[in-house]
Amino acid sequence: MSATPAAKRAVAESCIDYLTLELVNNYRRQLQGPPLQAALDAIGERVGRQLVERYAKERPPLLEQLDVMKFICKEFWAEVFRKSVDNLRTNHRGTFVLRDTQFRWLTRLSQNQMPPQVGQPLPAPIPKAELAADYLVLPCAIVRGALAGLGLEASVTADATSLPQVDFTVVVRQVAAR
Amino acid sequence: MPCFTFYIFNRKGACQYYHEWQRLKPVRSGAGSQEEDFKLMFGLFWSMRALSSALDPKNPAKQQMGAPQRIGDGCSFNSFRTSAYKLHFLESPSGLKFVLTTDPSVGSLAEALQYIYASLFVELVAKNPLYTPGEPFLFEPFSAALNKYMRTLGLLS
Repeated sequence: MSATPAAKRAVAESCIDYLTLELVNNYRRQLQGPPLQAALDAIGERVGRQLVERYAKERPPLLEQLDVMKFICKEFWAEVFRKSVDNLRTNHRGTFVLRDTQFRWLTRLSQNQMPPQVGQPLPAPIPKAELAADYLVLPCAIVRGALAGLGLEASVTADATSLPQVDFTVVVRQVAAR
Repeated sequence: MPCFTFYIFNRKGACQYYHEWQRLKPVRSGAGSQEEDFKLMFGLFWSMRALSSALDPKNPAKQQMGAPQRIGDGCSFNSFRTSAYKLHFLESPSGLKFVLTTDPSVGSLAEALQYIYASLFVELVAKNPLYTPGEPFLFEPFSAALNKYMRTLGLLS
C-alpha cells in the first residue's frame, strides 16, 4: 500500500451539473408525485451522509448545533454547491434559515416558452418555484443526510420563490446520541 | 442593423431555435413557408459540407457525413457571401448547426459562433434542467443573452 496521501483529484464541474439534473429527469420519466420525491429523497440522504463523513473526518468533533450549522454553511456548502451560504439566521431554538443568493444548481432554470406545435398558443407561464420543486428535493435531502451524519435529526425544506435565491429552512428535531 | 437571422438545427435537421432580427423579404415570397425555409437551410448545409470536402485538394481523410467532428477538424465550410447577405455556419461535435446571416460587409464570425455555442448555448440551454435535447426551445435567458452578445459585437443597435 502506498504511504503517500492521494493527490486531490479534480473533475469537470459540468459533469456534476449534468449528472444531478439528469438524475432528476430520469426519475421523472418513471415516477411522479410522492414516489418521485421519496426516491430522490433516499438518494440525497445517503449521499449527504457519505459526503459529510468525507468532509468532516479531518476536523475535531462538532458539539454545538450552531457549530454544526456553520460547518454546513461554509465548508460543506462550498464542497457540494461550489460556494458558501450567504446568510444564516436562527431563532436559537432549533430553527435555522440558510439563504443562498445564487443557488448554482438552479441558476439556469427557465421555462420553455415554445408552443408544442407552431401556431398553437404559448404555454401558460409557470412560476419558477413550481418548476424548481422537483429539483430541490435532492439538495434538501443531501443537507438532511449531512446533518444526520453529524448527529442532528432535522427536517429541511426549501423555498425558491425568488430564484436564483433559495432559502433552506432547517428545523432540528432532537440531538441524537453520538 | 447588419444581422438578419439566426438558426440552430439539431442533428436530424429539425430547427430547434430560430430568431430573426430583420427579414425584409418575407418568408412567403422566399421559401414559401417557415418549414420550407428550414428544410432548404438544412439541405444547403448538407450539400455544402459534402461538396467542400469532396473538392478539398489537401485533406486526405475520408469525410464521414453525419459523424461527430471537433470544431476545426475535417473540412467544413465556414461562410458564404452573396451581394445581399453573408451566411456564417458552425457545426458542433454533437451535430448542432449554428447559422447566422448578416450583412455582407461583416468580417469572420467564426469565433462569435464558437462563443455562442460554448458560453451561451451550453451554459444557458444545455444545462437547463427543462431542456429536452433535440426539441425546439425558447428560453428567455438564452434569447436575452444572444441579443446582448450581438449588441456587444456591434451587429445589433
